[in-house]
Amino acid sequence: METNTARGDNEALTRLRGIGIVGEASLKMLLLILMGLVVLDIVIQGVCCIYAHRGAGASQAQQSPRVVLSGSGSTFIYPEMKVWITRFEKENPSISIIYNPTGSGTGQSQLLKEKVVDFACSDPPLSHEQYEKYKGQVLQMPVIIGAVAIVYKIPGYNGPLNLSAKVIAEIYLGKIKYWDDPEIARLNPGAKLPHAVIKVIHRSDASGTTEVFTFFLHKAAPSLWPASLVGKAIEWPVDSTGRGLGAKGNQGVAEYFKRLGSAIAYVELGYALENKFPIAAIRNAAGRFVKPSPETMQAAVASALRSGVLPDSPLADWSNALNAIVYAPGEKAYPIVSFSFMMTWARYPAPKAAALKKFIEYINTVGQSEIVEGYAPIPQGLREINLKALSIIKGG
Amino acid sequence: MSTPGKPLYRSDKLLYYALLPFAAVVIAAFILLFAVLGYVSAPAIKKYGVRLLTTSQWAPNEANPARSVYGLLAPLFGTLVSSTIAVLLALPVTISVVLVIEEYAPERWREIIGSIIEVMAGLPTIVYGLWGLEVLAPLLQKHIYSPLHQLLGFIPLFSCRPVTGFNLATAGVLLAIMILPYMVAVARDAYRAIPFTYKEAALAIGATRYEYAKIMLGLAKPGIVAAALLGFGRAAGETVAVALVVGNVPLVSGCLFKPAYTISSLIANQFSMAPLYPYMMSVLFTGGLILLAIGMAANTVAVIMIARARKRLG
Repeated sequence: METNTARGDNEALTRLRGIGIVGEASLKMLLLILMGLVVLDIVIQGVCCIYAHRGAGASQAQQSPRVVLSGSGSTFIYPEMKVWITRFEKENPSISIIYNPTGSGTGQSQLLKEKVVDFACSDPPLSHEQYEKYKGQVLQMPVIIGAVAIVYKIPGYNGPLNLSAKVIAEIYLGKIKYWDDPEIARLNPGAKLPHAVIKVIHRSDASGTTEVFTFFLHKAAPSLWPASLVGKAIEWPVDSTGRGLGAKGNQGVAEYFKRLGSAIAYVELGYALENKFPIAAIRNAAGRFVKPSPETMQAAVASALRSGVLPDSPLADWSNALNAIVYAPGEKAYPIVSFSFMMTWARYPAPKAAALKKFIEYINTVGQSEIVEGYAPIPQGLREINLKALSIIKGG
Repeated sequence: MSTPGKPLYRSDKLLYYALLPFAAVVIAAFILLFAVLGYVSAPAIKKYGVRLLTTSQWAPNEANPARSVYGLLAPLFGTLVSSTIAVLLALPVTISVVLVIEEYAPERWREIIGSIIEVMAGLPTIVYGLWGLEVLAPLLQKHIYSPLHQLLGFIPLFSCRPVTGFNLATAGVLLAIMILPYMVAVARDAYRAIPFTYKEAALAIGATRYEYAKIMLGLAKPGIVAAALLGFGRAAGETVAVALVVGNVPLVSGCLFKPAYTISSLIANQFSMAPLYPYMMSVLFTGGLILLAIGMAANTVAVIMIARARKRLG
């Protein structure tokens, strides 16, 4: 190889000489000039760099100090957070916010244990034990309402579908196997449902979506769906029949769902809308069949707020919030709703505290009218509770 | 280069000492990896012991972490079975490919096949995963699994109805395709390492093409076995692609058409939320430790086989 390239070089040289461009002496000159140019370039660049640095330092000192807030956590709130951050930064050029969608669990631990972020977003609130541990030091604010949609695909049937917690529970227990089951037919009079096997998709990763979904099943059909089957990751009874499938993330569930001819799945509303999946109407506590929409989602939270089951301060224990809003009373209320919480400390260095307060104020005022499809803004009463944070968070 | 045992010249010594730290980094990284895996998985091993390997319940309990139950049996089973399927499917293909490109194919075809295999080896695994999800799983379900179940349903392996294409069998087939390039590369090297005199001898005694191939494969056998073992190790560690097609359900079943789990897809699925559950992270690291052990065992045996083959051929 080496001899080859050397030979190649020589050949090239001979050719150049042949053309008459390069003579023996001028070749050396050329090399010298080239080397000189390189050295000159290095020197110039070095000098430039030093000056550039000084210049940048000087101009930065003149501007107001830039505050960087970092957050991490819920992937669920990420699309909304992106919108909020972009608009907020436009209005407040001296503050920059970074949000990393690492998952609710990681977000909580990065805020509380590792203390590497300034705020976290989490779909589940702090558990009661966690709350006791950080009582008075950590604030929790529900900033957005989400919903879990039950999506279905039935071969040869494109009509609407009504489902109840009881039927969904029996499907996920593996007891209802076909779409033409009498229990499903009873909820959907007149619908021609085929005798097709239902493939049941659930999340394989631990997920807040699963927790909300299973919590709903337990609250609305406790005799069928025991408390032991409530959580972010559970053992799915339907799996033992071979008809259950697990997929990672809403995206994974959507991918499986798209490729199956006859299936049921639960996904965040946003994914169901984005993919135009048919969404089932679910029987709520008042006995009405309701589809998820900003109105029906907000109705659920508003009714929980009216009945006084939600806490009234960011410093309170929110661990029971899901119980308050899932399967809430009210004719319009969609039964499978959830919050996404923003979590912060009560004390920060002064500039950070000021910036964070600005952001919280923005989210709970203007931000609530900039809600992305698939979510719902929180009702006015809840915004007022969240805004109490402005007087709780202290700087310095 | 100085031969071992001979005193080093000064400049050689300098070079030796200059290179030493970099070589040490590799060893240190490996030891550290083992140590960290061991350290983090210790709490889970202490708490659950052998139950980690004998049960397949995956029931994290947030309200009462001490009552969480984790078992790695189903994922371990899935890893071993899917990797075995992969090797069993890829091995005959590997042998055929090596024979074709080394003995039969004309020069141009040899190059084309060779570069196709190189491209296959270089493809990101997620590409295989998406292809498996989009093309392979539905295809296999419709044209392979359903007929197999109807015709050979009495065999336990095919006894359950293939409800979806996302199952252990699909994971195995996809893995077979993914490990093929590596197996071909290793087996081809082994085949090429057969000294020319053997080939001459075989041809000189008038062996037919078939006999010749048989003799050559016999000589390359340790290398081919090594290829299979390395392929197995790779298959066991494959994550993204498998997670997309395996179905992600902790089931231990004798039927290949049921969805399953593998250790690496379990880790990929559970890792992001694991900090919420006190023991889950530790259990996942135990899974990692098991993967490392499987990989190391396969690699060690493979390396020994290759070394033995070299010695025998001289």
